[in-house]
Amino acid sequence: MKMEKKSVSEWVRSGDPWVWLNAGAVAISVIMVVGLLLLIAVRGLSHFWPADVVQSTYSLPGETPYTVTAERVESVDVTSAQLREAGINLPDEGDKLLQRTLLKMGNRDVYGADFGWVIDQYISDSQTPEMLFTAERHEWGNLYGYVKSVKENGQVVSETQDITPTDSALATWAAFEKSIERATEIHHEIKEIEKADIGKINYALERIRLEQRRLELNDDLTPEAEADLAAERAIYDAEYKGLQQQLAALYQQINRDTFTVQVMDGTVHEMQVSKIVHAFRPNAMGVVEKMGFYFVKVWDFLSGEPREANTEGGVFPAIFGTVMMVLLMTVLVTPFGVVAAVYLREYATQGLITRIIRIAVNNLAGVPSIVYGVFGLGFFIYFLGSGIDQAFFPEALPSPTFGTGGLMWASITLALLTVPVVIVATEEGLSRIPRNVREGSLALGATKAETLWRVVLPMASPAIMTGVILAVARAAGEVAPLMLVGVVKLAPTLPLDGNYPFIHLDQKFMHLGFHIYDVGFQSPNVEAARPLVYATALLLVMVIALLNFSAVTIRNHLREKYKSLEM
Amino acid sequence: MSEEQTHSIDISAMQRSQQALNIEDETVCLSVKDLHLYYGEKEALKGVDMVIPEKKVTAFIGPSGCGKSTLLRCFNRMNDLVDSCRITGEINLHDSNIYAKGTDVAELRRRVGMVFQKPNPFPKSIYENVAYGLRIQGINKKRVIDETVEWALRSAALWDEVKDRLHESALGMSGGQQQRLVIARTVAVKPEVLLLDEPASALDPISTLKIEELIHELKNDFTIAIVTHNMQQAARVSDYTAFMYMGDLIEFGDTNTLFTNPSKQQTEDYITGRYG
Repeated sequence: MKMEKKSVSEWVRSGDPWVWLNAGAVAISVIMVVGLLLLIAVRGLSHFWPADVVQSTYSLPGETPYTVTAERVESVDVTSAQLREAGINLPDEGDKLLQRTLLKMGNRDVYGADFGWVIDQYISDSQTPEMLFTAERHEWGNLYGYVKSVKENGQVVSETQDITPTDSALATWAAFEKSIERATEIHHEIKEIEKADIGKINYALERIRLEQRRLELNDDLTPEAEADLAAERAIYDAEYKGLQQQLAALYQQINRDTFTVQVMDGTVHEMQVSKIVHAFRPNAMGVVEKMGFYFVKVWDFLSGEPREANTEGGVFPAIFGTVMMVLLMTVLVTPFGVVAAVYLREYATQGLITRIIRIAVNNLAGVPSIVYGVFGLGFFIYFLGSGIDQAFFPEALPSPTFGTGGLMWASITLALLTVPVVIVATEEGLSRIPRNVREGSLALGATKAETLWRVVLPMASPAIMTGVILAVARAAGEVAPLMLVGVVKLAPTLPLDGNYPFIHLDQKFMHLGFHIYDVGFQSPNVEAARPLVYATALLLVMVIALLNFSAVTIRNHLREKYKSLEM
Repeated sequence: MSEEQTHSIDISAMQRSQQALNIEDETVCLSVKDLHLYYGEKEALKGVDMVIPEKKVTAFIGPSGCGKSTLLRCFNRMNDLVDSCRITGEINLHDSNIYAKGTDVAELRRRVGMVFQKPNPFPKSIYENVAYGLRIQGINKKRVIDETVEWALRSAALWDEVKDRLHESALGMSGGQQQRLVIARTVAVKPEVLLLDEPASALDPISTLKIEELIHELKNDFTIAIVTHNMQQAARVSDYTAFMYMGDLIEFGDTNTLFTNPSKQQTEDYITGRYG
């Protein structure tokens, strides 16, 4: 006993417990980070896998059996008592655990709901028929069923009675795919005209309207000027009419084809081919084919625009908005923070006041971000923004230009939020520049400012970059203040486009962080949106990691360049 | 630099081995009059009066904390950077008081260059280190800079070692090379006075020797004031030596006399190693 006691105290003295404690803390942090990333990666990325569609018979006791065709989403165990309370008529066999599965049945337009729970033990006769197809649609979510016929202008071009892969069924499927391809092409054309050409005309017309209004406000609206503007407008109107006709023709073409589909309850519905985004038969696809399709869908997610209240489609505008906002914020915060730090460290007399300011700056970093949002809204938008509107954009009033949330205000608000980090890091960097290097520069006849610019700031640049990295990490993940100063759930156009002045700082924008909130918690279709929340979260983490990685690369490069002098 | 001056220096250099130099015969470069310096309440220099002769090497010796570095830093007003530092008295550089109001300190420091104890090259290329002072002066002609860089590096006996890697970082050089680079950098702006604050104390013996040879070369063109801990070094490189103790200038005279026949007891005690 005494022996053991001694060995325990020796063990403590050897420092091993301390090492174990340290290693344990690191291990727990790593496990948490990796676990979190794995969770969102698995949940998010599996969403794009073209899952098998299972057709089975569901026969609850005391109810007529019916067919379900659906993708399995997840399974959970529940007690039978709980199910009975939910109104399901189960035989009284005591209380036991039953497995319950969430199925994605799609066809929201046909059944009203596209998700449903089934109890596994009453599922029977499951099979994965090859001809069963999944279609992503522009609206109403997924469609599952068997294609029965394809029609052009109401005339049947291909028809089948079979739901097994017979020649006629395959021929109809081929006709269906061809029709979809055609519709997709026309769809792209329409989008191109609507977005690019008509967008440009609208922009020009708006500019003419504002110009006229401006002249009117200044009492400069001479009849000649008015005639000029009217002539200009007439040109755009004519162009618009031409495009309008083109569009009408395209719409007629795209709506030419229809198809009929037999859904799981056996009824047949006629639908327009133009509503389909992708159609595929997952049960007939091999792993390689599925992988190819998987990457297509991931790419669609990254590069596409959201559909159906953000629960379907891609997130490109949100990625773009996030990156753009962070870059703009970096451009604003870096010079501001560096200049402030230089004054505090190099020029201000080090005394009580400087100390108080430094404490205040440090504390700013701890102010809740929503407070910055409120400040941004109150000061930047309502005060500065409306001032700018009155001074520079009176012709657009009462609709605000800068007097409402937008990219610029969001960036400035986040710059304000992150400036303490940059100040603290820069001050730290400045204080570490050896005194003899400064003296070396001064002794050559350089003034203090020249010394700062030519020697001190370059040497402090790795520390400045550290501040920027921290600022970027914080800003990219921030959502709360953005909701007040310019983020929206759906922005019709990107803040960067081909219309002068190309960067539209006054425009509202989408943001991945807000997108997660909106899709996950404001969405009308929670089940459909959930995987997208994970996918978007993963994407946000990756965007932040990428931004940070570039900043770290720059910093390491600078460090290499200025490494030194600490000999 | 006129012909006549060069000539007279040659003569004095020859004379040195034979007879003692006389401070009265020298052209005065810097003259210090009743200089007091305070760090806060503490008086670090207690009324120093002396002259630094032109185109000669003047060494400052004394125990640590005697004020020799502080005095040196007064010559180009480096002490201005210390917040609590206060100075009375005057230092004249060719008859103009450098502590007079309205003195352009940057211009003064260009005329009175300084090399520090630890080599402090900038984290730039060798070329840019030497060109730094010129660029500060707004000289941007490549030809002028190229020539000056080469001249300065030759003056610092560094050209042959670095001519093939002028655009590599100065931080990759050895300590001795870095210190000579710093001397080249200082020489490049063509100052009148070179202040050397223990320039060899962080270097190995061979580098130290090179620096000493260099000082010997440089005194043809520059007035040099050097602070050193090492009495042998002072004896080897300097024409005149000042011994300082506790903020006072105890003795100042030509090096031979001061080391062989000091007139003050304190000086003798110090150079014979009885204290310090």
